[in-house]
Amino acid sequence: MSQPLVLGIETSCDETAIGIVRGRTLLANVISSSVEEHARFGGVVPEIASRAHLESIHSVLTRALSDAKVSLSDIDAFGVTAGPGLIGALLVGVSSASGLSLALNKPLYGVNHLSAHLAVDALNSDHSLNPAIGLLVSGGHSSILKISNFSSDVRVIGSTLDDAAGEAFDKIARILKLDFPGGPAIDRISKEGDALAIDFPRGLTSDSEHLYDFSFSGLKTAVSRYLQKVPESKVADVAASFQEAVVDVLLAKALAAAKSEGMESLIIAGGVAANSRLREVAAQRCAKAGISLRIPPMALCTDNGAMVAALTSLAVSEGVCASSLGLEAQSSSGLDRVFWP
Amino acid sequence: MSTVLAIDTATSRTTVALVKDGGVVLELHHDDPIAHGEVLPRLVAQLLEVENSIDEVVIGMGPGPFTGLRVGIVFGQSFAFARNIPWRGVCSLDSMAAQIDSDDFIVAIDARRKEFFWAHFIDGQRITEPQVALRQVLEKFTSPIHKEGDIYPSAKYMPAITGDIREPIYVRRPDAYPSPAGVTFRPMNALDLPVVASLEKSIYAGEDPWSIAQFKEELGGPDRHYLVAEKAGVVGGYCGVMIAGDVADILTITVDPALRRQGIGREFLKRMIDWSRNKKVEAMMLEVRVGNDAAQPLYTANGFYPLNIRNDYYGPGLAALVMRKELR
Ligand SMILES: [Zn+2]
Repeated sequence: MSQPLVLGIETSCDETAIGIVRGRTLLANVISSSVEEHARFGGVVPEIASRAHLESIHSVLTRALSDAKVSLSDIDAFGVTAGPGLIGALLVGVSSASGLSLALNKPLYGVNHLSAHLAVDALNSDHSLNPAIGLLVSGGHSSILKISNFSSDVRVIGSTLDDAAGEAFDKIARILKLDFPGGPAIDRISKEGDALAIDFPRGLTSDSEHLYDFSFSGLKTAVSRYLQKVPESKVADVAASFQEAVVDVLLAKALAAAKSEGMESLIIAGGVAANSRLREVAAQRCAKAGISLRIPPMALCTDNGAMVAALTSLAVSEGVCASSLGLEAQSSSGLDRVFWP
Repeated sequence: MSTVLAIDTATSRTTVALVKDGGVVLELHHDDPIAHGEVLPRLVAQLLEVENSIDEVVIGMGPGPFTGLRVGIVFGQSFAFARNIPWRGVCSLDSMAAQIDSDDFIVAIDARRKEFFWAHFIDGQRITEPQVALRQVLEKFTSPIHKEGDIYPSAKYMPAITGDIREPIYVRRPDAYPSPAGVTFRPMNALDLPVVASLEKSIYAGEDPWSIAQFKEELGGPDRHYLVAEKAGVVGGYCGVMIAGDVADILTITVDPALRRQGIGREFLKRMIDWSRNKKVEAMMLEVRVGNDAAQPLYTANGFYPLNIRNDYYGPGLAALVMRKELR
C-alpha cells in the first residue's frame, strides 16, 4: 500500500481532534477545544476535558470526513494517541478508535503523542524524515527528542524540570500585565523592545547532569525580582530580554544535541514554534551550523489529529505491525515507545 | 430479523451480549474496575466472530464511575457510526433490576468514596431518577438493597429495556474548584530546596524536620511526586506523595501559615489524587495528627476514611490517625 488513507484521533488533553491524510498529503484537520471551559479553574480539569471529548468526538469525525471528501469505509488504517496524556481523556479517543476499527475490520495503531508532534513534519513536504533532532515546545511540553527513525527509534533526551516553555510565557505575561495567552503577547511587544537590555540567566547551561534539560523557574524569579528592583523599567525591554533568554536556551540545547548526536536536521513543533523570534534565531543559527531547519505550519504545531494520522501513515508504509486489540492507554509512558504493540 | 449488540461498562464488570430476535446468542463478561478500555474490544471481537452482522447497538449509559462508563458509551457510539446503524442508550440500573424478582427493592452501583448510585424499583418500574448517596443514607431505606458485587448489569437484558437515553447519566458534577487566586502549582525542583527546607524547619520545629539533603534524596527517588505552590514568585507550600506497592502514600502537605485558608491544601490534595489515580494504584493513605481538627474535614470531604491510630507517631504522646481512600 503506497498511499494509505489514514484517520488519526487525538484526545490526550483538552483538544478533541481528528485528521485525515493520504500518504503524506493532508486532507482534513478538525479541532474542537474545551479550553474555555477550563479557564476559570486555572488549568485543565481532567473530568471536564473527558466529558467534552465524548460530547464532540462524533461531530468532529463527521466534519473531518466531509472536509476530506471520503467515507469512513474508505479508511485503510486508524491511528490514535495512546499516551502520554490525561488517562480519562486518552481513553475516550482510544475507545472510539477501537470501536471504529473493529466495526470496519481495519488496523488500529496506538501512537506516542510526542513522536506524532514531530512526525507531522511529513505533511510539510516530501523530504526524507530521518534522522533529526526534535525540539517540542508548547504550554504542555518542552522536550528534546532524538529521532533516529520515526517508526522505530525515538528517544527523549531532554525535558523541562519545572514549567513548560509555553507556561513560562504565560506566567511572565501575567507579571507584565499582558494578554493571555502570553506567547503571542510577549512576541508582539518584544518587537518594540531591546532584547539585550537585561541579561537574564539562562539556567542549567553547564550542568552535565542536565545537558539537554530545561528549567524556567529561575528565569521567572529573576524577571519578577528585576521588576521589583527596577519598577520603572520598560515593559517591552523586559519582555524582549525574557524572550531572548528562552529562545537562546531552547536553541542552544537543541543545537548542541544535534551536534553531539551527529544530526543534520532540526524539527521544531508545539505552540511555541509560532514565536517569531524563535523562528528568526533558529534560522540564523541553523544556517550557520549547516543544519536544515523544519518547522511545520502553525495549525499542525499545536495538538491536532493530522499529526497522529501522519505518524500512522508512516507506520503503514513501513510495515509496522498494528496494535493488538484492546491496546492500553497510558498517561505517562516511558516514551521510548513510538507505536503500541 | 434483528441482531442487537449490547454493551455496559458502568460497573467493575464489562458485560456484552448478542441478542437475535429476542433470543440471547451469547453473553460475555469480565470483571476489572480499571481495564474496561482493554477488555471491551476483545469481548466484542469474540461476539463478532459468532455474528458479524449487527442491526442495532444498545449501550448502558450509567450511572457509574465516569472513566469506565465513557469507554462503553464512546465505543458503542463509534461502532454504530462506522456501521451506519442506530444506537440506543438505557439506564445501567435497569439491567440490574431486570434480574430481580421482587416488587420493592433498591439497586445500587458503587460510586466510590463510600457512595452509591442508586434507584428504587416498585412493581418492576424504576420510580426514581438515578441518584447518588452515602451508604449510611441508603441504609435508612426499608426496601432490600441489591448492591454491585451481589449483582451486576447484564447485557443480555438490555435490548428488552425500553427508552432511549442520549446522554451519559453522570449524576455527579465534575470535581472542579476554581484554583486559588494568584497561586500557581508546579513540580518541585532542585532549585526550590533551600526555600522548602527553611519552610519545613520553621513549621515543624521540634518534630524532626527534613533537611535539604533529605528533600534532595526524596526528589531523586522513584515513584514520587513533589509539588510546590508559588504566590508572587515565592514558594509558599509544598506537598509530596510516593507509591509503595499498590498504595500511594501522602508524605507531606505543608502550607506557609501566611498563605493558609486560600485553598492551597485542597488543590495540593486534588493534584496528588489525580496523579495517584493515573498511576492506577489501589488506594491512597495519609497520616494526620490526632487533634489536628483543621485538616481532617478536608480529607473526609475527599473520600478519606479513618483506618487506625498510630501512637507516638509524631513523638511521645503525639498520635497519628491513619486515613485511607480507595481509588478503585
Ligand atoms: Zn501536545
